[in-house]
Amino acid sequence: MPYDASSLNAPFEALKGFDWGEDAAAFKPIDEAVIASHGDPAARTDLEGRLAALLGKDVSTACKEYVCRKLALIGGVASVPSLAALLGDAKLSHMARFALEKMTVPDAAAALRTALGQVDDDLKIGMISSLAARADAASVSLLAPLVAAGGPVAVAAARALGRIQTPQAIEALAGVDAFSGDLLAAAVVDARLGHAERLLAKGDRAAALAMYKSLAVGAAGKPQSTSIERAARRGILACLDTSAAV
Amino acid sequence: MISFQMMRTAGTALLLAAACSGFCSVGVAADEAVELVASLLASADAGERAIGLERVRYGIKGKAATDRLVALLPTLPTAAQAQLAAALGDRADAAALPAVNALFKSSQDASVRSACIRALGTMGGTSEVPALAQALASADPEMTAARRALTVIGGSDAVAAIVAASKSAAPEARAVLLEVLADRRARAAVPDFLAAAIDSQASVRAAAMRSLGKLGGPDQIPGMVLGFLKAEGKEREEAEKAIVLVCTKNDGKERSAARFMEVFKAANAADREPLLSPLAKIGGNAALEIIDGLIADADTTKRQLGLKTLVKWPDATVSKRILDLVGSARDPAEREILLGGLIRIAPLPDNKLKDNEKLDLLKKAMDLCMNDKDRGRVLERANAIRTVETFRFVLPYLDDPNLAEPACKSIVELAHHRKLRDDNKDDFMKALDRVISTTKNAELIERAERYKLGKTWER
Repeated sequence: MPYDASSLNAPFEALKGFDWGEDAAAFKPIDEAVIASHGDPAARTDLEGRLAALLGKDVSTACKEYVCRKLALIGGVASVPSLAALLGDAKLSHMARFALEKMTVPDAAAALRTALGQVDDDLKIGMISSLAARADAASVSLLAPLVAAGGPVAVAAARALGRIQTPQAIEALAGVDAFSGDLLAAAVVDARLGHAERLLAKGDRAAALAMYKSLAVGAAGKPQSTSIERAARRGILACLDTSAAV
Repeated sequence: MISFQMMRTAGTALLLAAACSGFCSVGVAADEAVELVASLLASADAGERAIGLERVRYGIKGKAATDRLVALLPTLPTAAQAQLAAALGDRADAAALPAVNALFKSSQDASVRSACIRALGTMGGTSEVPALAQALASADPEMTAARRALTVIGGSDAVAAIVAASKSAAPEARAVLLEVLADRRARAAVPDFLAAAIDSQASVRAAAMRSLGKLGGPDQIPGMVLGFLKAEGKEREEAEKAIVLVCTKNDGKERSAARFMEVFKAANAADREPLLSPLAKIGGNAALEIIDGLIADADTTKRQLGLKTLVKWPDATVSKRILDLVGSARDPAEREILLGGLIRIAPLPDNKLKDNEKLDLLKKAMDLCMNDKDRGRVLERANAIRTVETFRFVLPYLDDPNLAEPACKSIVELAHHRKLRDDNKDDFMKALDRVISTTKNAELIERAERYKLGKTWER
């Protein structure tokens, strides 16, 4: 059935007045329209615009969360500014990230990077997580200094760099003591092991071997690092075993 | 150059030093990997051995590596021997077969021997069948390992070899071999199952009937009936299950049921009587006609036989018929047979009765009960109908001192079902409180307390 914008007027009106605990059936046609808009750019553009407009209005948190969920599915460049404006809002930051994290447009990542330097530490961890989920290589230079900041932000940043997995991301963790046994060290070890596995999977045995060796040497003789030593040894063996598929 | 022996002696530290000094450069790595694995397998540390065993299973490919690994087998302590034998089995390189066979023959340790047996199952073939069949006579864990090995062992002649082994095996081992053949879905062994179904040994007959229950079809029904008639007591019950399975679940079930009816009709009077039980459990119009004929017979013995057969019916389609019969029964013994049958059958799933209709039947059964023992059975059976109407039916009986216990049990069983309980939370909370204050059964109290807290995960 072709998209009929006017048929959604009443559902959008109902959505504006929606709050938790109320019947959501009145705006179910919006759900259906979002699904039906697959492969219909014009319909998506119209829906995105109407949804994003609600984010700037005086409507309930429940309504805005609903909008974020829908924009996660159909949002693009046009809705990024409206979502970005919510990133500093403690109530809506997470849902805005939920949408931005899933959008494929580069502007979404840029909005998260900008917010990273503006929001407080609690919300900053969320920005870091979303950039990690996007494996956003462009954020490495922003995340690297945070590793030195200490605390939960540093741990989140180290985990994010481990997930981004570019050589620069792994290099950014070089200065951290990976064998101290704390949360930051664990994040760094995970990042290095993950990187080595990725190198091995790509067939770069020499580089993977070097990474595993550095972990094995660092962990040797440290009682709290036995599991790291074993994981590294397992990796070394896998690197040397040229008979097996990687 | 650091030798393998040096590494083994020096242990982890030197191993790491070697790995980190360029000794293990990638270009000449494969042989070194084998040596590193060998040194890990010899470690006293189970964690280190696990790293090596992973490589045995999934890495260091090739016969040369396998030869190096099997050479280690005799030199390792028993725990490590068992682990390596198991890993070699998973590796499934037949090059390890002679060494594993040798270890199996020489070791006295049960864990080593059972690991070898499992490995022989994955690596071996027809020639390993006799040894594995012989191992069935051992105690566990070897016996279980041998059974598993025989179930998975490859080779085009494996089934024939197992059949041959079964013919010369002792009765207990023969029974296991027949079940192994059934687990392998070895249809070629069906004639052997039929022969074994009338064996002089009960354990062999039972295994053969179980196997026929898995693989049998219409052509096997006459032979299965012979096996059923030869069986006694518990064995006959199991044989009956096998026949019913073939006639109600297996491929060609309708033809099997028809074949059973032919065999039944052709049987002499003495054989017909025991065959009435599977006849009823298979069901069908022709079976019902035979049962009706018995019930209508002037001979009281035959009539009671017909009633006892009717109440074994597999679903609730005969419930109306039973209800009518119980209403007109004059003989207390007949009445008890029918009432017991009605209580059993009423809640059975048959896709014809709705839950409220099943409950109505049980309520009618309750009205027909002459004593509290039967009423208690109705209350306990009621919980098979998981509705709030059942709950309301059972609830008032908490006030009856003679029926409170079965009512408590049914309430708790109904409360076990989260959705039913949560949809009627207030009523269930009050009822569970009453159960707690009424029942003398500690388990029911404990369950009622848990369900009140929303904890349903264990019965």
